[in-house]
Amino acid sequence: MHFKTLLPALALLTAGSLFAADGIFPYPWVQEDLPNGLRLITIPNDYPNIVALYIVVGTGSRNEVEPGKSGFAHLFEHLMFRGSPEFSSEKYQAVLQSAGAASNAFTSDDLTAFHTTFSKEDLPQILSMEADRFQHLAFDQPAFKTETLAVLGEYNKNSANPNEKLYEVLRETAFKTHTYQHTTMGFLKDVQAMPNEYEYSKQFFDRYYRPEYTTIIVTGDVDPKKVRALVDERWATWKRGSFKAAIPAEPAQEAPRAAHVDWPTPTLPWLTVAWRGPAYSDDTAETVALDAIARLGFSRISPLYQKLVLDEQKADAVFGSGPDSIDPELFGVTARLKKAEYLPQIEQQIEATAAAFSTTLIDAKKLDELKKHLRYEFVQSLSNSESIAGTVARYVALRRTPETINRYYDLYAKLTPEDIQRVAQKYLIDKNRTVVSLTGAGGTK
Amino acid sequence: MKRFVLLFTVSLLPLAAAPRVVALPGKSPLVTLRFVFTTGAASDPATQPGLAHLTGELLGSGGTKDLTYKQMLDALYPMASSVGVYSDKEMTTFVGGTHVDNLDAFYSVMRDAILHPGWRADDFTRVKDDTLNALRVSLRGNNDEELAKEAMYNEIYRGRPYGHENLGTGAALEKMTLADVQAFYKAHYTQANLIIGIAGGYTPEFLEKVKKDFAALPAGTPDKFDMKVPEPVQRSRMTLIEKDTRSVAWSFGYPISVKRGDPDYPALLVAQSYLGQHRESAGRLFIRLREVRGLNYGDYAYVEYFPRGMNRTEPDPNLGRHQQIFQIWVRPVEPPNAGFALRAAMFEMNKLVKEGIPEADFQRTRGFLSKFVNVLTKSKSAELGYAIDSLYYGIPNYNEYLKTNLAKLTAADVNRAIRKHLRAGNLVIVGVGKDASALQTKLLSSEGTSIQYNSAKPKDVMDEDKLIERWPLGLKPLDIKIVPADSVFEN
Repeated sequence: MHFKTLLPALALLTAGSLFAADGIFPYPWVQEDLPNGLRLITIPNDYPNIVALYIVVGTGSRNEVEPGKSGFAHLFEHLMFRGSPEFSSEKYQAVLQSAGAASNAFTSDDLTAFHTTFSKEDLPQILSMEADRFQHLAFDQPAFKTETLAVLGEYNKNSANPNEKLYEVLRETAFKTHTYQHTTMGFLKDVQAMPNEYEYSKQFFDRYYRPEYTTIIVTGDVDPKKVRALVDERWATWKRGSFKAAIPAEPAQEAPRAAHVDWPTPTLPWLTVAWRGPAYSDDTAETVALDAIARLGFSRISPLYQKLVLDEQKADAVFGSGPDSIDPELFGVTARLKKAEYLPQIEQQIEATAAAFSTTLIDAKKLDELKKHLRYEFVQSLSNSESIAGTVARYVALRRTPETINRYYDLYAKLTPEDIQRVAQKYLIDKNRTVVSLTGAGGTK
Repeated sequence: MKRFVLLFTVSLLPLAAAPRVVALPGKSPLVTLRFVFTTGAASDPATQPGLAHLTGELLGSGGTKDLTYKQMLDALYPMASSVGVYSDKEMTTFVGGTHVDNLDAFYSVMRDAILHPGWRADDFTRVKDDTLNALRVSLRGNNDEELAKEAMYNEIYRGRPYGHENLGTGAALEKMTLADVQAFYKAHYTQANLIIGIAGGYTPEFLEKVKKDFAALPAGTPDKFDMKVPEPVQRSRMTLIEKDTRSVAWSFGYPISVKRGDPDYPALLVAQSYLGQHRESAGRLFIRLREVRGLNYGDYAYVEYFPRGMNRTEPDPNLGRHQQIFQIWVRPVEPPNAGFALRAAMFEMNKLVKEGIPEADFQRTRGFLSKFVNVLTKSKSAELGYAIDSLYYGIPNYNEYLKTNLAKLTAADVNRAIRKHLRAGNLVIVGVGKDASALQTKLLSSEGTSIQYNSAKPKDVMDEDKLIERWPLGLKPLDIKIVPADSVFEN
């Protein structure tokens, strides 16, 4: 079934002279490059009044190549709110406030995204102010040092959750060379040393806050021609850079690895079993096949989830996720267990479930249900302008165009049980595996 | 902004006990359903805290008469839909959304989950166990900030129907039986307690069917909550929850007599936003504690209950309450600066009460709120949730209510409301951190609590710091109690 037939109201939008999306993404978009390399993606839709603006910089913790400098992409997510000669941070906040804007930012392995949601009449002013801070950010050393403490505060508030620690140790164990070794927050020792890295921070900004790394996404009640004119007016003067990070490749893993975390306070035990996987792909079945395995093998409809969580009640959470990063990353399955004594058996069952994808073809009916689920999941996720822009931002970090969404879901629609088996045989093998467990202090009450 | 002149129809009790209906028809192929029962933790029997919550959870995650929970998950999977449930003091909300293609199939599962529960023993065991783990592990063990907030609420409302954690206590949950849940269901899941909410591209016939189906619930009478005002906070008191953490999380507050729909609500919303709009960077607390001093990740103020704030930028709707508190949330602070951060938040509170909001800041904050309300209701599901709340509070649709009343406000109105309802002392304070006894000694010491910086600060900040370091906490040794984390929410 072609997806657009599911969407009588939205499908109407794809008519017209705009570059119409021909796949699952239900909105037409206009994608344009300025001469300086800046990319603008405008997605008009019929959600009235509100506009969502996402500015995606194609740098994340993946780009933190120098030892001792992990966490800098995320630090810049913070520093970008420190103002410019024309707009001090107070003035910047005052403008956002008078626009009634909800504004925030986030960083991941592969991107730093700055997003603002506001009423459409404020678009010219906000686009102009954003152009100013991306080109003329200015922070002095004391402001820099103070902001590093807010980042430490963020690390501290995250540290209450054992799952954060589990993930930190998983990354450190599974990667030895590539920058995916550290999480986006960075190594704690690097976060604590940040206050002394003022000079380096300026270098980091100079490298990555450049038009060729940046994509502006505007969704909502907008006219693409008018948006382009606004962007030309203030963003065309931004100078192109030349830096390219040499991201070290991770050598092949030769044997299974394991690590354990002793958590200082009582908690339920956690277990994660991960395999080295491929990079995101929208032209081979690898990424979609691993996503399908995560869902069919380990989501709430999987036999393993239903056995462990519903029937035996030995775990209260089981979930899997496939890799979707620029460089090869991990396929992982995580569970929260009710008793530490279940750790060995549940690890064994997760591994056996993964191994079965290599030996047994999955039921075609199950795969069809999954495909149906995905189509509805996707369209239901686009329930407002902000969620549309947020979805596109995630893919823009990978391929810099919404077209990759259509390509990805198109591959999914064509996925076969044989593809899944082939990909499982390639990646879900013993020597690719890393297992990390975590147990709390004072029993597991 | 014509979008917010809604096609929103409310049927106000045409029959004595028929459920109220809030309907927002539209063209969207997505349909949202909200079934809100005006019952919750405030209706828990005195000896069974957590029963209302457990009842809602079992309905949402326990299967139906016809479908086991496993079958329910399998049936919903191809539609990518699920039945969500959350509960608070006065409301228990079932929420689901689906594509119009699947509306009939989805609705029949959601309806049966509420009207024809499965009541299976193994589901009850699982859901009860999950609830105990949500209480002891996820909340008490793994979320210091929410722990401080929830413990503060319990302390403020002690001896009142709001005075226990929604999830219950460990001891009471351990004893709860399936029969207890069934008895609560029978008494409180009634037409009189139900508000049906629907939004999106459904047909009028579909809505008629929903109304007819839910007329099968017993008529009942609406839950009546004991709304005796909370004990006044005559002097400040502090609970320090001892736990091995990297940093110290703070929350403090006190009851206020203002809720949505009351004359001073818009004015207090302006005061809250000026002092500390949730997860935004323009509030005084955020600027003075985080931006100027680097004390932590953020600091915010509230006049309405806002749970799960660490994961959400906008509040969930359908947390309606007849009583609210004023609250300040100080996110985790490095232990050496914990006392200073608490005092700095109190200092800003005092400044607001003494000096009020300056005219220019008033104008800006009012402008912000008048537009930000569009962001709060940006999705159909949120718009529907707010419309249900407006019915509950007896106000027009929230956007219109707020815009109209904000437009009439002056800075003098806000400052009068601040002086009338807010104060900087007589606080209920909760902190979560390690070495509580050393922290207690430091807080009570006549030497005050200083701050260590890693960079030079301007003279005005250093001068202000001198005032903050010794800001009176209003606490004597007996006003501070230290409790081990594993005792919290147990009894």
